[in-house]
Amino acid sequence: MTKGFALVAFVLIGLVMGSNGAHSKVFPYKVNEVILDNGLKVVSVPYDSPGLIAYYTVVRAGSRNEVEPGRSGFAHFFEHMMFRGTEKYPSDKYDEILQSYGIDDNAFTTDDYTCYHLVGTKDALETIIDLESDRFKNLKYSEEAFRKEAGAVLGEYNMNSSNPFLIMFEKLHDNAYTTHTYKHTTMGFLQDIENMPNLYNYSLQFHDRYYRPDNSIIVVVGDFDQDTLIRLVKKYYGDWERSDYKVDIPVEPPQTEEKTAHITWDNPTMPILLIGYHGPAFSDRQIDMPALDLMSQLAFSESSPLYRKLVVEEAVVEFIYGGCTDHRDPPLFTIVTRIKDEQDMERVREEIFAAIEETIKSPVSEERLAEIKSHMKYNFAMGLDTPGRIAGTLAHYLQMTADYETVNRVYMLYDQVTPQDVMDVAQQYFGVENRTIVTLTYGGEK
Amino acid sequence: MNTTGRFFACALTLIMMGTMMNFNAYSETEVKTSQIPSPDSPLIAFRIFVHSGSIYDPPGKEGLNTLTANVLGSGGTEELTYQEVITTLYPMAAGIGVQADKEVTVFTGNVHRDHLKKFYKIFSDLLLHPRFDPDDFERNRDQLLNYLEKTLRGTDDEDLGKEALNILLYQNHPYGHPNEGTVQGLKSITLDDVKRFYKKMYTKDRITIGLAGGYPAEFIERVRQDFETLPKGKVKPMGLPDPEPIDGIEVLLVEKPGRASAISIGCPIDVTRADDDFYALMVANSYLGEHRMSVGVLYNTLREARGLNYGDYSYIENFIQGMGRFARPNIPRRQQFFSIWIRPVAQENALFSLKAAVKELQNLVEKGLSEEDFELSRQFVLNYSKQWTQTLSRRLGYQMDSEFYDTQRLINEIGSDFEKKLPLEYQVKNFIENIDEKLRTLTVDDVNAAIKRYLQFENLKVAMTCEDAVKVKNALVTNAITPITYQDPGSTPPEISEQDKIYEGYPLNVTRVNIIQATEIFEK
Repeated sequence: MTKGFALVAFVLIGLVMGSNGAHSKVFPYKVNEVILDNGLKVVSVPYDSPGLIAYYTVVRAGSRNEVEPGRSGFAHFFEHMMFRGTEKYPSDKYDEILQSYGIDDNAFTTDDYTCYHLVGTKDALETIIDLESDRFKNLKYSEEAFRKEAGAVLGEYNMNSSNPFLIMFEKLHDNAYTTHTYKHTTMGFLQDIENMPNLYNYSLQFHDRYYRPDNSIIVVVGDFDQDTLIRLVKKYYGDWERSDYKVDIPVEPPQTEEKTAHITWDNPTMPILLIGYHGPAFSDRQIDMPALDLMSQLAFSESSPLYRKLVVEEAVVEFIYGGCTDHRDPPLFTIVTRIKDEQDMERVREEIFAAIEETIKSPVSEERLAEIKSHMKYNFAMGLDTPGRIAGTLAHYLQMTADYETVNRVYMLYDQVTPQDVMDVAQQYFGVENRTIVTLTYGGEK
Repeated sequence: MNTTGRFFACALTLIMMGTMMNFNAYSETEVKTSQIPSPDSPLIAFRIFVHSGSIYDPPGKEGLNTLTANVLGSGGTEELTYQEVITTLYPMAAGIGVQADKEVTVFTGNVHRDHLKKFYKIFSDLLLHPRFDPDDFERNRDQLLNYLEKTLRGTDDEDLGKEALNILLYQNHPYGHPNEGTVQGLKSITLDDVKRFYKKMYTKDRITIGLAGGYPAEFIERVRQDFETLPKGKVKPMGLPDPEPIDGIEVLLVEKPGRASAISIGCPIDVTRADDDFYALMVANSYLGEHRMSVGVLYNTLREARGLNYGDYSYIENFIQGMGRFARPNIPRRQQFFSIWIRPVAQENALFSLKAAVKELQNLVEKGLSEEDFELSRQFVLNYSKQWTQTLSRRLGYQMDSEFYDTQRLINEIGSDFEKKLPLEYQVKNFIENIDEKLRTLTVDDVNAAIKRYLQFENLKVAMTCEDAVKVKNALVTNAITPITYQDPGSTPPEISEQDKIYEGYPLNVTRVNIIQATEIFEK
């Protein structure tokens, strides 16, 4: 029952798809959906996991919603506060109950959403619903507890601070964005984290705005009875009041010139190169994002010529990775590589640009495209092997559109991507003026 | 269906067929197997378990076991180059992994049944017909060197602290260097060394084939026959000396720049899953510091009440996080250690945190668990452990670990010729089932007695990263009072402040403090 962890890592989870025909659905399980009068959506999937259920609550607010100056990192901080208890179940009581059931309980925050997840035995279903509904409706913590938890958030920043990637991603986003809240990472700017103890009242407002039934979705997967589930959800969540709050997220204007930044690292590290291009927002209707996902596999996956050259044959980089995560607003398509020798930095960068140029100029063969689609299809299929993973997959797509069919629609789009689509998106998004580069090298004795 | 325990029930038949032996102990017989058939599953998981670990690294060539495993698992086959292997596996999205520990090395494979035949050909060729390409050797050695020289020394304080504790705990012991080796050890290894090590250690007596999922019934026999082509082994299992005793609090300070200090505390303990007391200690440990859970005393003391860091946990065996927050299977060891992991704390709070953790360990040792704490922790472990085997691959991994520890138990109880003395109906003790069985009858007295037998707070080793090692050393050897610095001092309740006074002045009997620069650790 650890109180939360931030998803500050650049985990790309958007790269899943299916190519099993335009008419078949890639998500293989039956999905139930019920919407309560207060707007709370309950999505459930019966799954053969005897005695086990996964219970996920998605709040459609993440660091994207941190629109006021000085409030970066607040969605993640608030995720921590959600474990600080209510009058009915103070945090020690909450922990004790979950402990007695042996429930695996945690939460995470991303740029776009916050997710609270529990996996436990099916006999704990009503207890879980009681506890979860109570803290979402009646969260109550003292200013003292609030201030103390801010220390744990700073501790989390400290924990990550020995990792150069956190610092590089901070720099990349800070430079690439001028206006949109993706300018800061989910963790937030350090000066804002240090100021968190002073924002008790803002925390109450944050809960009031976003922790509402019309902004939340419950996902249940595993061994449960659907009628019982809905009866219990209505019983415990029925009186949760809606908010109808609408946040105004500032729109990022187009980038007009290339930006660069450099970081000197105090401890030994290999040089790291990070390149970001503004990409398209998530959509289950437009072809851009699926085409770009395929392009990322074509150009940067382990099956790409660039990987073969830089990682395997010449062994000048330790790894290379490129892709665009699913985001509600336009994210960065990010390429990251760790280079063995600083002298190769320039050449590696040029090789990356050349690989992108190749996708703009030369159409991918149908055979290669089919391989990429196959990879994505099996990657998806092999990932759906526990109630938690299935719930997590659904949560990811539901937070985008609140529609569980999105997962199937996106996969159909992947199937429809043509070689020309790949060339078109590469041409559209990989302009020099749309690019931000961050480099990092060791500053000590080499 | 768990077939772990069924083998002796039909042992006669199996021996006549020449198929399965389900023990991982060294023997001069044939390749062993461990299965979990699940015919309806579209997935198939392999775990090829090799009784070879870093304890077999020759002196001066530390890292040879891991490098050999990586050259195999991330290399080519006689037919395909490494790149061709990657390209062939890519459309299947099949995964091959290598995990090398002190005593065991495991090759994992996960594939959809649509591709079993094609995948297995590559997977088995990697192990049975490796390419030993010089480029694969150099690339893999570079990666291990970079891990030691750059990642651990420069960019990952938590793992640096844990690895530093490991070498400190096991000085002059075969466990006493990182699995990845040392910088000088790796640099001295040649491709011929790797080939020789492969020939010596990848012998059929040291292999267990683990297979789970929707494979055809006859498939396991084919796999077994393929691995039967490996030569017979000549290397006897290595005996392990006892770890050196600890005298007081012995500290290793790893000096490096940084915002925070990572701390690992530990001591060897003479108990493993093969012992009944292990299960009692599981309950005690869950109470003190269940991994990544907010229920432990350490977590509540350091993070919850004081906001010192992200989390604080304890362990009664080697622990590496795998899926989610659950332990990674297939890192079994004949000797284990107790440890406390304090995640990075601000430099100025490092010694306060260290003292608070040791003081809480003292409380546990001296006071034990109350009936109420015991009941809650027991119930938690009983239920939580059911979640550790959610995927086929994890079930298989836990099953194979059960076989490892059951073998150790039988050797201890019966002797190394135990196989000849067991009844036909003998069933391997499955770890998860064992937890259930033993915890149901466990009492608070059992737990408190086990604590007294195995845990103590006076003789510990401590590894910590810090920015100013001389300053920290001075504070340690003079037993200076080291108060906590709060981010927000105004919000501290009086009872916490009162407790802080006890922690800040808690005397540690520090008998040794060594300092090493992070840029020099793991050199040789």
